[in-house]
Amino acid sequence: MTLSDTSTAGHLISDRLVTTDGSGAPRLLAGRCESCHALSFPRADVCGDCLSTDIGTIEIASQGTLYSYSVVHQAPKTWKVPYVLGYVDLPEGLRVLAHIDAPPSEVAVDAKVKLSLGVVGTDSDGAPLSTYTFVPA
Amino acid sequence: MKVDPDMSMNGLRDVCVVGTGLIPFGKYPDKTLADIGWPAVREAIQDSGLSTRDIGAVFCGTALGGMLAGQRLMTKLGVSGMPIINVENACSSSSSALSLAWLSIASGQNDVVVVIGVEKLTKFGGGVLPLEREDWEVNQGMVMPALYAMRARRYMHEYGLTREQLSQVSVKAHDHGALNPNAQIRKRVSLDEVMASRPVADPFTLWHCCPTGDGAAAVVLAAGDIARRSEIRPVRIVASEVTSGLFTNGYRDMTWAELTARGAKLAYEMAGLGPEDLDVAEVHDAFTIAELMYYEAFGLCEQGGGYALLSSGATSLGGAIPVNPSGGLLSRGHPIGATGVAQAVEVTRQLQDRAGGHQVEGARVGLTHATGGGIAGVDHGACSIHIFVR
Repeated sequence: MTLSDTSTAGHLISDRLVTTDGSGAPRLLAGRCESCHALSFPRADVCGDCLSTDIGTIEIASQGTLYSYSVVHQAPKTWKVPYVLGYVDLPEGLRVLAHIDAPPSEVAVDAKVKLSLGVVGTDSDGAPLSTYTFVPA
Repeated sequence: MKVDPDMSMNGLRDVCVVGTGLIPFGKYPDKTLADIGWPAVREAIQDSGLSTRDIGAVFCGTALGGMLAGQRLMTKLGVSGMPIINVENACSSSSSALSLAWLSIASGQNDVVVVIGVEKLTKFGGGVLPLEREDWEVNQGMVMPALYAMRARRYMHEYGLTREQLSQVSVKAHDHGALNPNAQIRKRVSLDEVMASRPVADPFTLWHCCPTGDGAAAVVLAAGDIARRSEIRPVRIVASEVTSGLFTNGYRDMTWAELTARGAKLAYEMAGLGPEDLDVAEVHDAFTIAELMYYEAFGLCEQGGGYALLSSGATSLGGAIPVNPSGGLLSRGHPIGATGVAQAVEVTRQLQDRAGGHQVEGARVGLTHATGGGIAGVDHGACSIHIFVR
């Protein structure tokens, strides 16, 4: 699925977090302070290191390592349960919370994962909600 | 020069708990927040032997109780006019209120104050706690059980903790809670029941998670000279601190409760005591893994040694340092804003030798710890620790 597909497969939870590159592959959007180069995800409006508001938007790595995860069975009705939620460590030093779009049996701590897009729930009108996800690399 | 015995070296006055009140935690969907709360406050005031006219200020902790919870509650008791300060700090709401109240007395601002913790979670109709919708992680699917479950998963990975071992935290909590008439869940559970109950956020089943419910607790604090004139056995508060989580959007060791460990160090320094001095502790066991991690953060054992301490029996009633004799959040319940003061009530009664069936024999030094709040980038939003001595 690419971002353009999400117009039919659902709408993005937030278009501030993810975009697609020229080949249609998803890319995460982070912030980089133009003053002190501190990174933020999601892109911060103000730098937590130097208080600069001059924050650029950069694309960051699409491959990372799964620090930990849980298979969530009880959640607000927005979400399609069960779902796997995990923290992915990216090489830039950022840790990103993400849906892990894989059967629980194929998910493991310290596994290599790569960025994807997927439908993860429904909005209050019942329309599908999509977001960035990670899948086993 | 006349030396005031109530002034410590740093110029702060002695602060004592002189009255406690607590309602049985449970589900009261048909009662208002004020009606859940006032019986606890009435009990605490009557326990103190003081008059409502003595109350200089009220500090009321509630996370989701809405505007002016303290006023809604105190006016039921006909008590008004003094400053009533409402405090929101998620699961640390009433423990933060306790810390502000402590300072109010220690500083000389007031001689007698009331501290309340009150919460009504049944108004949300069950399920996981509603979190802040402005938070980006919440908007990507974060729920509190998942946050703790990810800690558990990583801890199991690093230290070889098994599901069976983790489940034993719940067995111990309910063994204690079964002895506490004020606990929301007054029922023992077997290891098999814990492991076979429905999954909530793997590796947690239902019995790994604190229940949602309603509750209220209250304490009356007084300056040392007033406390010593009262007929009940006052309990001194020798450490009171509040800290917030350190923000990072980078890597974090989720197997180490940094925020709690930092607060513990401050509290121990303030009290001039250490983990070896504790006789009883009420810690924030919202989920099973938390109790093991907090053993470590409070220095009751080394890092990774949480389960060994549990399995030794040291933290069970009859052990060297019983933890959560009330049943803790897992069994007494966790109406979030009420928890901090409920812990203070529990530890005070333990040190007064009136905890009943779950009494820790001869307890002289006790600790309370409430931490929480699920927002992105921090371990937890807030943490508040108190140490009590009789």
